[in-house]
Amino acid sequence: MRGDRRVEAAHDVVRALVAAKVRFLLPMTIVYIVGYVGLTAVAGFAKDAMAVKIIGPLNVGFALIALNYFLSWALALSYERVANRVFDPLAATAAASVRGAVR
Amino acid sequence: MSITLVIFLLILAVTLGITYWAARRTKTASDFYAADSQLTAAQNGFALAGDWCSAAAFLGFSGLTALYGMDGAFYALGPLVAFCTVLFLIAEPLRNSGKYTLGDVIRSRMKTRSSLLAAIAGTIVVNFAYLMPQMAGAGVLVRLLTGISYDWAVIFVGVSMIVYVAFGGMLATTWVQIVKAVLMLGAGAVVLVMALSLVHFNPLTFFADTEAKYGAGYLLPGNYLKNPFDQISLGLGYVLGLAGLPHVMTRFYTVPDAKTARRSVVWVMFLAGAFFAGTTLFGLAAADFVGQDAIRAADKGGNLALPLLAQYLGGGKGSVGGELMLGFVAAVAVATILAVVSALTLSTSSSIAHDFYVNWLKGGQVEGRQEVWIARLAAVIIGVLAIALGILAQGVNVAVLVILAICVAASANFPVLVLSLFWRRFNTGGVIGGMAAGLVSSVALAMIGPAMRGSEALWPLVNPTIVSLPIGFLGAVIGSLIAARDLENEKRFDAFLLQVHTGSAPE
Repeated sequence: MRGDRRVEAAHDVVRALVAAKVRFLLPMTIVYIVGYVGLTAVAGFAKDAMAVKIIGPLNVGFALIALNYFLSWALALSYERVANRVFDPLAATAAASVRGAVR
Repeated sequence: MSITLVIFLLILAVTLGITYWAARRTKTASDFYAADSQLTAAQNGFALAGDWCSAAAFLGFSGLTALYGMDGAFYALGPLVAFCTVLFLIAEPLRNSGKYTLGDVIRSRMKTRSSLLAAIAGTIVVNFAYLMPQMAGAGVLVRLLTGISYDWAVIFVGVSMIVYVAFGGMLATTWVQIVKAVLMLGAGAVVLVMALSLVHFNPLTFFADTEAKYGAGYLLPGNYLKNPFDQISLGLGYVLGLAGLPHVMTRFYTVPDAKTARRSVVWVMFLAGAFFAGTTLFGLAAADFVGQDAIRAADKGGNLALPLLAQYLGGGKGSVGGELMLGFVAAVAVATILAVVSALTLSTSSSIAHDFYVNWLKGGQVEGRQEVWIARLAAVIIGVLAIALGILAQGVNVAVLVILAICVAASANFPVLVLSLFWRRFNTGGVIGGMAAGLVSSVALAMIGPAMRGSEALWPLVNPTIVSLPIGFLGAVIGSLIAARDLENEKRFDAFLLQVHTGSAPE
């Protein structure tokens, strides 16, 4: 019976973990999907906007493409940071609780 | 062209040496399918870069940019952004919940034989749709670069890949990918520095020069993809399709834990991302220095833009430096193809041996050593089949298959995988419904589209992902709702979630 309770506790931690992941990943996912698919949509439907020059021969289109590279890298690094600091300890707690239950 | 051959034989000797070394270490099923899950994040990151950058990326992106400007840059950006999906949703859950294949994940969630069969179908269709154009591309490219005939080129590529996979399994495949990734990044860095040195390290000069030469329209979108919905469809296909490619998924089983899987995605995002960004500059530089006419004259599709740029930077045609640079880049292109076809062969043979033979046919009751031999045999058969298909594909328009591979991955494998990992109510009916709807809609729409039927297309989009992806999700949801509720499965979902997010199982 004690084992069952520990498994139940592990499930609760996992539920908290999933909720934390959703809170963090949902906005990030919206950012990169809108960032890239939105860029392709603008390229398709608003070609003129992409043609506006920013610095010398560089236009908005290429600048947005460059921005998307940096955005992807920034999102990846910030996810890794949050995962190491927040998600991993939660996962370890749940795993430890289950291991206790097995023993 | 003989320099190419010499450099390439050198690469081949190194990779065969690696295969000999790997073969002696490959004994168990875990060795064969997943290099015993002992790779580091950096190793897997380089291998992923080698896995994911096909010749289409290595040569195609530069060529598209050289000939069509901004659309080429879109093609190059997508594969990087796609890794955000892999990082956020796929890499760690796969590592935690599976052993070697997509089929493992679906099987551990559903525990039904028919759902396993659906996962096998998704794996094999995507892998063959990807493998066949790679073989055909290899034939064209090796012929172009070394002068040997198309048929022999395909046979040569196919035999090399069979040797790597059948003898060395995942360990050899991984190191072939790492060698290729290092060579590819090295070649890219050399070309980039040499090209930039000609414009005082101001890349904006390439934009100004090419705009002056080819007009303002060159730096605008829509030169290659005329239909705006095709642009969006391409974007969606990339961003969600990568996460549904079985040969990319298997890479996450080669590391010991979720943390390493995560770190390896960050590695590949910087390695491959930097290379993809480079291809845009290579393309512009090639258009500037080599010129579109010369690029088109060498290959209509622009695939030789990068080798020609390397030749120009080395000192031009006929010079020692020029021929050396051309030979090096061309040899790396061939190595690129070898790394990708090996990964596809390995992933397909894993699915056939592990998912189909061991788990579907024999209910898991197969001894480890026997399983390895079945997997090796499967690799040989798949390799021979790939050679035959590659030879048959000569002169056939295989572009539709490339689109199909990524489209089926996004529309069938991706919805089924994501819903398996995140939706409690999802069941075997949903797996079958999602796979069937995604597969059938992708294949049907690609077949009646312009890639297959040209001007007689019954439907306007080259890439159907924008329609087939929602159909795939819809099929999965409807399939789940129509099928009777699987209460056992829903009760197990908590335990499955625990496994997916922590890597520990309650039993």
